[in-house]
Amino acid sequence: MPFNRKPQKFNAQIKAVEIGVGEKAIKIGGENILPFYTFDGDMGNTPKVGVEISDMGLEGAVAGIVSYYEGCTTAAEMAKKAAEMEGADFVALSLEGGDPNGANKSTEELVAVAKEVADAIDLPLVVEGCKNVEKDSELLVKVAEALQGKNVLVLAAKEENYKAVGAAAGLAYNQKVGAESAVDINLAKQLNVVMTQLGVKPESVVMNVGTAAVGYGYEYVVSTMDRIKAAALAQSDTTLQMPIITPVASETWSVKESLAEEADAPEWGSREERGISMEIQTAAADLVSGSNAVILRHPQSVATIAKMIKELA
Amino acid sequence: MALNGIQIFKLTPKKNCKECGCPTCMAFSMKVAQGALDISACPHMSAEALESLSAATAPPMKTIKVGKGDAEYTLGGETVLYRHEKTFVSKTRYAVSVCSDMDDATIDAKIDEAGKVDYDRIGEQMHVEMLYVNCCEGTAADRYVEIVKKAAATGKTLVLGVKDVEIAKAALEVCKDAKPILNGADASNYAEMSAVATAAGVVLGVSGANLDELYDTVAALEKAGNKELVIDTTGATIKETFENTVQVRRAALKNEDRTFGYPSIVNVSKLTKDDKYMAQALASVFTMKYGSIVVLPEMTYADALPLFGLRQNVFTDPQKPMKVAPGIYPLNGADENSIIITTVDFALTYFVVSGELERSGVPMNLVINDAGGLSVLTSWAAGKFSSGSIAKFFQEEVEPKLKCRKMIIPGKVAVLKGDLEAKLPGWEIIVAPREAVELVKFFKDMQANGEL
Amino acid sequence: MSKFIVIGERISVTAPSINRAFAEKDPEPILTRAKQQLDAGAYYLDVNIGPAESNGEELMKWAVELLQGEFDNVPLALDTANMKAIEAGISVYNRSKGKPIVNSADAAGRIEYVDLAAANDAIVIALCNGEGIAKDNDERMMYCQTLLERGMEHGMEATDLWFDPLFLVTKGMQDKQMDILECIKMFSDMGLNSTGGLSNNSNGMPKHIRPIMDSAMVAMAMMQGLTSAIVNPNDLRLMETIKSCDIIKNNTLYADSYLEL
Repeated sequence: MPFNRKPQKFNAQIKAVEIGVGEKAIKIGGENILPFYTFDGDMGNTPKVGVEISDMGLEGAVAGIVSYYEGCTTAAEMAKKAAEMEGADFVALSLEGGDPNGANKSTEELVAVAKEVADAIDLPLVVEGCKNVEKDSELLVKVAEALQGKNVLVLAAKEENYKAVGAAAGLAYNQKVGAESAVDINLAKQLNVVMTQLGVKPESVVMNVGTAAVGYGYEYVVSTMDRIKAAALAQSDTTLQMPIITPVASETWSVKESLAEEADAPEWGSREERGISMEIQTAAADLVSGSNAVILRHPQSVATIAKMIKELA
Repeated sequence: MALNGIQIFKLTPKKNCKECGCPTCMAFSMKVAQGALDISACPHMSAEALESLSAATAPPMKTIKVGKGDAEYTLGGETVLYRHEKTFVSKTRYAVSVCSDMDDATIDAKIDEAGKVDYDRIGEQMHVEMLYVNCCEGTAADRYVEIVKKAAATGKTLVLGVKDVEIAKAALEVCKDAKPILNGADASNYAEMSAVATAAGVVLGVSGANLDELYDTVAALEKAGNKELVIDTTGATIKETFENTVQVRRAALKNEDRTFGYPSIVNVSKLTKDDKYMAQALASVFTMKYGSIVVLPEMTYADALPLFGLRQNVFTDPQKPMKVAPGIYPLNGADENSIIITTVDFALTYFVVSGELERSGVPMNLVINDAGGLSVLTSWAAGKFSSGSIAKFFQEEVEPKLKCRKMIIPGKVAVLKGDLEAKLPGWEIIVAPREAVELVKFFKDMQANGEL
Repeated sequence: MSKFIVIGERISVTAPSINRAFAEKDPEPILTRAKQQLDAGAYYLDVNIGPAESNGEELMKWAVELLQGEFDNVPLALDTANMKAIEAGISVYNRSKGKPIVNSADAAGRIEYVDLAAANDAIVIALCNGEGIAKDNDERMMYCQTLLERGMEHGMEATDLWFDPLFLVTKGMQDKQMDILECIKMFSDMGLNSTGGLSNNSNGMPKHIRPIMDSAMVAMAMMQGLTSAIVNPNDLRLMETIKSCDIIKNNTLYADSYLEL
């Protein structure tokens, strides 16, 4: 008696969102199956991998990353190099230098960086703000304006600033806009609702539902994504049918396992190896939980995760 | 798993004879489903119907025990596909793989390295629980037995990957008392392998060329009376292995197909060859998606730190928050004179806060209070993180051990400052910011102002 | 659990404007009411073309194509005493948003509607009624069993029979209301789906009372496991109650704006 396969069919689908322009534009989402359950149906677009660079250069980066960008002096040069990385589908520029509690770079300076980077590459671009909600409501609006026509994804609109960021990126300047919540499924839904009420098309929204490094309350991430995909597909909840992007690197490279120098923890071995492993394992877990795109830093992680997606898709 | 009325109704004779005391078979089925009547109240149930009923009420996935003593592990017994639905009960166990075609030095090195990872993470001891000893084709029995002996000497639970019945017998002779798994049955040899496993009293691993063959082999083994099984879902490719592993678990838990209601073995090392980074990615994938035992090519600290952290998170009971042990945690090379900062024992709070504190680079002692594993505001509201409880903990546990008398409390419980100053004479109470992300700046400012 | 399914009842010949529209094949009043109901949160629309003895087949086809064409294949409940008209409607029906519903069968004269649904892979509303109203729940469950067996004999999934306990008017049958609610619980315990013309309970009450009564009834019925109802979705209070109950039952995910969805 053969095994009775019972495919899990849904009458709903995650929306496909396009980022970038021209030949290298990418689409994320579009599936009507659970992550990588290709035996049940159509996976739409395969998940995509982005390479993260920062306006702050390579501060604190491990040797493998530093050597990869050797010779680069500007963000634009780094972006070019990032775009060539094996497995890269898009480039993510973090404007962390804008943080008023950090380098506190001016909006003008950062917009200029974003413009330079966007002009330097033909891969799609994701621009991440500095995480300070007041600064981002100004910075991301200006970035969206300056990069008109590039169809970039702006990360992200949050509960506190979705009106400014959502309206600018998603409506006025016709970019794609991220809706960011921190492992709070009700807020994730609410943000999508209010953004669409603003007039942003659902096809212009990508969710960042929050993440953590594995080991750091990651169970909340798993359950948040599991429940969002279940609501979107099994309950046909249209307000949650947006694809998910997960900035992995900023979480995984800032935990003890990736920061501790070998001298501080000799039995743990190479810091770089630990950082890569943390990044790879977190990204893999995010992808099987439902992320449609992940943002990584280390060339080894990018290559491995891209290969894993190819193998599974 | 309880049946609902309609499933029971389908088994009834549907004669509405009223002999059970109910007006209709439908009403009877409903009462049985509610537990108000026993199925035996119906005199017309056929033997097959009763048998399928008892099968249907059995757990959807068997619980299998392997290993012995401290190295005994429980596999399977899951009831849900997603942790938020209830909880996962048996965590993934990891095995490091050695193969008879490796030279002795390599085997020794691998076994040795697998033993080195051994550390505590929030009250859970993390280590490689198993060794997978693979017997590749053409290996002589005594060579394999020799490796098995070596592996058995570690005290770890063994999984014997061996297809040859005679070699399996010989290997079990030297290790069966420690209850290894004999991962050797397939469509061609299952009857003999099952006899060997049963005679030795060990669990049998079953594999197949595809899901259909696997299904038939498991069904045949069950029919022959062997239900001490694990299913090796490893396929020819990564994609196939992922499908097999998901399909087997989903068939058991969602579609109530009990033939596949057994724990799984996923042999990642077989799929990734020398690509250790791919092995890390897949270790994560199959911890998330239904590997009961995941076999890896190696386990260094770099592999282990994320993996065991992931496992600890995923297998946490959603109803029970993870707690860290109350006590003093010196950070950044703190000594007894370093400043003290305190918070609750909710694991997530601990991780977020300690991460930020480490980033600040400031030597300090982090004092974790017993707050019932709740977050700062929740435990405060529940009276488990009060000035009284903090003062008592500090008097009993902190004052005898540390000399500093400056305590930083979470911004969210700033209201406790006055009370604490009254209850802890001689202490200076400082209020931290409300959010952990502001801690680094907070300490930088303190440093700049000469307050440290 | 899946979301409570609201079947909008307002496209019915009992409304004079709709009756006229069917008679004259005038799309406008029908589309207007359809839009009002869908905007208010109806998932299915009931299409009651009346007895339609002479032109039922053609009329039902016209109505199905009209509504599905205008509203992205909105799923429909086909409601008429003319079985041929229902079959004709199904012949042009697009299933992408849900199977058609045959409205309705009972355990006596209209039991063949079950066969009709089975033959066309449709859902059927199965009224737990014989000749006249069932006197108690034993009798209702007897009818339930008859209907269920009929469906299963013809190869239907049990979940495609949506059992209707027959909501009774409170003014006059107040003492029977709890029976109806208990009957819903029995369906639910059996694992069966259920539906019904819920607002019948408030028939004859003053206009301002009816939404309150209907809301209370739907909340209690949903607690008992009711999975669907044929109602007026433009009753705001009722719809707000249904949406709130769906949240409490964890059928939909909460967001602050849930009432606006």
